[in-house]
Amino acid sequence: MIRITDLRKIYQMGDVEVRALDGVTTDIAKGEFLGIMGASGSGKTTLLHMLGLLDEPTSGQIVIEGTDVSQLTDHEKTMFRLYKLGYVFQDYALVPDLTVMENVTLTAMLRKDRTEEQYRKEGSIVLQKIGLFDRRDHLPRELSGGQQQRVSIARAMVNKPDILFADEPCANLDSENSRMVLDLFREINEEMQQTIVMVSHEEWHKNYFHRIIHLKDGKIVSDGDNQ
Amino acid sequence: MGKKELKVAFLLALRSLQRGSKSSVILTVIIIAMCFTNMIFLPSMLNGIGQSITKQIMDYETSDVIVDPKIGNQYVEDKDAKLALINGMSGVQRASPHYSKAATLKYRQRVLGVTLRAITPKDEMLVSPLYTKMVAGSYLGEGDTGEIILAKPVAGDPTIKREDEFQPSLGGVRVGDSITVEFANGFTKDYRVKGIYYTGWYVADATGYITWSDMEQVEGKTLENAEYITVKAKPGYTEKFIKNELIQYGIPDRVQTSTDVLAKNMGRILQSYAIINVVSMFVSVIITVVVLFIIITIKTINSRRQIGILKAIGVDKEVIMHNYGFQVIILAVLGIILGIIIALLLNVYMTYNPIVTADWTTSLYMTPMDLAINSLILFIAAIVAGYLPAYQVSREDIQSAMRA
Ligand SMILES: Nc1ncnc2c1ncn2[C@@H]1O[C@H](COP(=O)(O)OP(=O)(O)OP(=O)(O)O)[C@@H](O)[C@H]1O
Ligand SMILES: [Mg+2]
Repeated sequence: MIRITDLRKIYQMGDVEVRALDGVTTDIAKGEFLGIMGASGSGKTTLLHMLGLLDEPTSGQIVIEGTDVSQLTDHEKTMFRLYKLGYVFQDYALVPDLTVMENVTLTAMLRKDRTEEQYRKEGSIVLQKIGLFDRRDHLPRELSGGQQQRVSIARAMVNKPDILFADEPCANLDSENSRMVLDLFREINEEMQQTIVMVSHEEWHKNYFHRIIHLKDGKIVSDGDNQ
Repeated sequence: MGKKELKVAFLLALRSLQRGSKSSVILTVIIIAMCFTNMIFLPSMLNGIGQSITKQIMDYETSDVIVDPKIGNQYVEDKDAKLALINGMSGVQRASPHYSKAATLKYRQRVLGVTLRAITPKDEMLVSPLYTKMVAGSYLGEGDTGEIILAKPVAGDPTIKREDEFQPSLGGVRVGDSITVEFANGFTKDYRVKGIYYTGWYVADATGYITWSDMEQVEGKTLENAEYITVKAKPGYTEKFIKNELIQYGIPDRVQTSTDVLAKNMGRILQSYAIINVVSMFVSVIITVVVLFIIITIKTINSRRQIGILKAIGVDKEVIMHNYGFQVIILAVLGIILGIIIALLLNVYMTYNPIVTADWTTSLYMTPMDLAINSLILFIAAIVAGYLPAYQVSREDIQSAMRA
């Protein structure tokens, strides 16, 4: 459960003030598949980065599972991201020198609550789930964009995070691959009650979201359940 | 930093080197190896020269301890009593008396001025390795009379014309030949050449040796004084110990260790060697630091977004820093190992192909300690060079890194 209260992010560009987020207040429920939509420059990435602890708000409050994240130290934030959050980026952002399996298990290797045996097994399971287990020893550049994005989802999923953040994960994919990725999100959302917050500006993605927040100039202009 | 963090950092480092540009890794390793070789080669060679001069002076001039006449005296007086006393001391292997005299050697048309040395061969064999340096004939025997041994450059080579000679010689004297020797006091006698030696030490190689009894004949009297006495320590005894022992027993003459003598003669040379060594080390260290700094800086700049992503997904900044740190460590270790191999190969090569000059012969002189110290210096320099940019980049905030 995420509670967002009057969140603001202001960039000072010389004399000009850019209000990337201008007073966002909302809750995100556990198990929700939330879509954040809006025009380019409306503040979608900014909001996602605030929620994902990748950036600091100018003011306002974010409470995740009872933790006021603004109170965390730098190191605590890193640990919070490692243990509780997962990320999928537009450009897949896999480590090019690591194999598929190494990419997927990289963060699991760092966790104190995972043995080598455990993360190898879990890595195999998620790779099987995304249908790329037989490519586990390949390098990212030997895979198609869609396959790479599925690997990056596997990397985010292997730690079973409380919340999964995805910033336009389909922007570089054709519609068939996009559908595959979205189906994968839906599947993990439904099977594992996985909370997912996803940014998109493709109208047809709407069908996958439980609820959609529309941003405009850093403000929520509409917020409603999807039917 | 726990074990898991280090393991991940090492994995990232290893994969980056394995899957990154091979040629860049190879070139870097070669540069470090060359820096290492440069660091060790010149000092080892200068060390080798120093060592070989030291050894030659000890072998043919001073032995471990030399007893010279005290100031104002021309001779070490009453040599028999002193030799008996010194030879009875606990650390002494043998004391050997020396006496030299200027002489002119004549053979066929050739005339050559030298300072002939008189020795008691049995004593000298226990003090100097000269007897092992015979290239023809044999060494002097204790009771020999009318026999002389000559250095090879003095005996000369009959195939080389006089005007082409590097050092004037007798033009090709062979063992068994007779040469005429005219001493400074006018005494003249023919000697049979018993042997020819070659030491590589230019002073010994510019003269010849006769027996003590022959020298007594030259002087026309029993020689009770020596010009100087060289003393060899038994294995396990230091020259310092021998010197102290001699002084304690009341030897009134001037007692010096080989180190004392060398310090006076070689101090200046060694000082300039030290400067050369420092400069060559400094240059190597700087090159290594600059090369590694540039390589790691380029790597970090090229992977800023990558680093941002890793931090975003929960990889601690320390892991990122040690990733680059480990890369430098791996490169430095490989470079140093290659450098050690090159240095050892050079060492072997120079042992079989020493640098020979008129004055001395030398190969490289490097101890495991030299290799270890230079490795350590280079290693530390490498780590500093790598960790500087790694530290900087690992501290960059996620937002600016990810936007890169
Ligand atoms: N580091 C920054 N410095 C200054 N302005 C910024 C910075 N980051 C974002 N902005 C501004 O904040 C506003 C919101 O940006 P944001 O990236 O959140 O938009 P977005 O909705 O994700 O757009 P897109 O669909 O193009 O990705 C934009 O006007 C952008 O120019
Ligand atoms: Mg965006």
